[in-house]
Amino acid sequence: MTTGGNDVPEWLKTPQDYTPTGKSDRFVTKSILSVSGVLARFRLDDGKSWALSPQAPLKLLGTLVVVVLVSLSRNFFFVLAVLALLVLRMTLLERKALARVCATSLATATLTFLLMLPAALLGQPQSALTLAAKSLVSVGLTMTAALTTPMGELTGGLRALGLPAVAILTIELALSAIVRLGQTCLEVLDALMLRSVGTNRHKQASMGGIGGVVLLKASRTANDTFDAMRCRGFDGEYHSGNRRWRLGIADLAWIGLIVALVALFTYTQGLV
Amino acid sequence: MHIPENYLSPSTCAVAAVAMVPIWHQAVKHVREEVPQEKMPLIGIAAAFSFLAMMFNIPLPGGTTGHAVCGTLIAILFGPWSATLAVSIALAIQAVLFGDGGILSLGANCFNMAFVLPHVGYHLYKLIESKMPGERGNLVAAAISSYVGLNAAALLTALEFGIQPLLFTDAAGNALYCPYPISVAVPAMMIGHLTVAGLAEAGFTCAILAFLSNAAPTFGIESKASAKSISPVIALVIALVAATPLGLIATGDAWGEWGVEDLAQMVGYTPAGLGNGWEWSSLMPDYTVGGMPEWAGYILSAIIGAALLVIVFRLASGLAKPTMEFGD
Repeated sequence: MTTGGNDVPEWLKTPQDYTPTGKSDRFVTKSILSVSGVLARFRLDDGKSWALSPQAPLKLLGTLVVVVLVSLSRNFFFVLAVLALLVLRMTLLERKALARVCATSLATATLTFLLMLPAALLGQPQSALTLAAKSLVSVGLTMTAALTTPMGELTGGLRALGLPAVAILTIELALSAIVRLGQTCLEVLDALMLRSVGTNRHKQASMGGIGGVVLLKASRTANDTFDAMRCRGFDGEYHSGNRRWRLGIADLAWIGLIVALVALFTYTQGLV
Repeated sequence: MHIPENYLSPSTCAVAAVAMVPIWHQAVKHVREEVPQEKMPLIGIAAAFSFLAMMFNIPLPGGTTGHAVCGTLIAILFGPWSATLAVSIALAIQAVLFGDGGILSLGANCFNMAFVLPHVGYHLYKLIESKMPGERGNLVAAAISSYVGLNAAALLTALEFGIQPLLFTDAAGNALYCPYPISVAVPAMMIGHLTVAGLAEAGFTCAILAFLSNAAPTFGIESKASAKSISPVIALVIALVAATPLGLIATGDAWGEWGVEDLAQMVGYTPAGLGNGWEWSSLMPDYTVGGMPEWAGYILSAIIGAALLVIVFRLASGLAKPTMEFGD
């Protein structure tokens, strides 16, 4: 191999004035941010229960009962009483969880209010407010219950409430698969970013490639999981959450609170 | 002292609201720079004090009622700009959720109670405190400054009411908005506030300050230590919430906060701007709802209001600059 001056190709001799444009990475960066945002939410907010939290099945059942009562209530006092309890509980949430509960429930309430705005213009302003408040309370309750229960407890609670084991299996596998595939997705996006030096106007075209790689990985992961489960003696029966739940003092207190709310509900309905 | 909807002309409301914009901007800037992140939720608790203090209605001479604001208290604990922000948010919650004070007049109410009151109180407090050192001196300074601060706000409110009939009348000479001129509004507001409500403000401020200096000395912004034990403060808030129905003992309306029918009976006609004015339908008008007794509604609103203030300032602490000190 000779290294004479004549061997230098023509394109190497021309000066390159390449300045990276700020916009070139927008597609990849945006995708990476959104994927990692979803992953972070799954990992960080895995639900942290509180010292006085009831056990998961009771929490789920209680939340369901109160949400139903709130939506049935014709007396606004009851809705406000539940709202007072909800905001009291919310003051004790961690800041990140608090921000998520507030954001979701306020967004829902605003949307409800906007949808009901014609009613306000037709002379029924109270109904718009009532429905917005009801959706605020229901979403707030559900979000608080979800964010204060670790994922495993949540599926265990669902099992205790009689959800079929296959459904629980699907939920748990789906949750772990989302995290696993999200990581794969991030790796592929990283690789794409590293290889796109200079201006590449067709990065969007790689979308199909990323999707394909993730799909292939998904099917391989599914096979691997199935094999691993067979190796550990999986016979088609999924034993999840078959543990015994024993009522503690905190649970009794929460049962008392729910009974009190049911009593308040019946009393306030008679007043309207 | 909460100016209701339509008692001030829309133009007066607009002027007050525009005046509040730079004040709120300054307040946010100062709070972000001066208040450490871990103390932010405590401003929420202090704002809850203010919210609850405003629910304790006290009968005043002349058949009206008044209340303390505790703006000077928050200013002494967390600085005047924190007090501006805290009282503003408390007033907004009262207006939007409970119909106490108007939405359009929120700017005017904030100017009186959230800006003038804590700033007058705070600077007077600093002046007196520098002349009278010691714990007793502090309490005397707090008492005098909170008394003066509340009365300054009351005077301003009376002037805002009083200029309405001077500026806005219809062809027949009847007032469009608040019908009482300055010569009536100022004495009517000030007699009650100079005698009873001002003393109540001073009493509230001193009692809470004395309690805090004994039970939770790390609560305010002055102490660099992070407030570890704030359970006595929480206990005090809960006690205040439970005691709010006492505010119902004082029957009668506050001066300038009558319903339209009551006002029409008093002056003999319904001011046009009041009769046809826009009104916000709040969640709990006047803290009552659904055929339940008044005290139940009162406690419920106290819980919701106080908890919302704590939530707002806990969320706001996420926006504050994190402070970390490495060594001493």
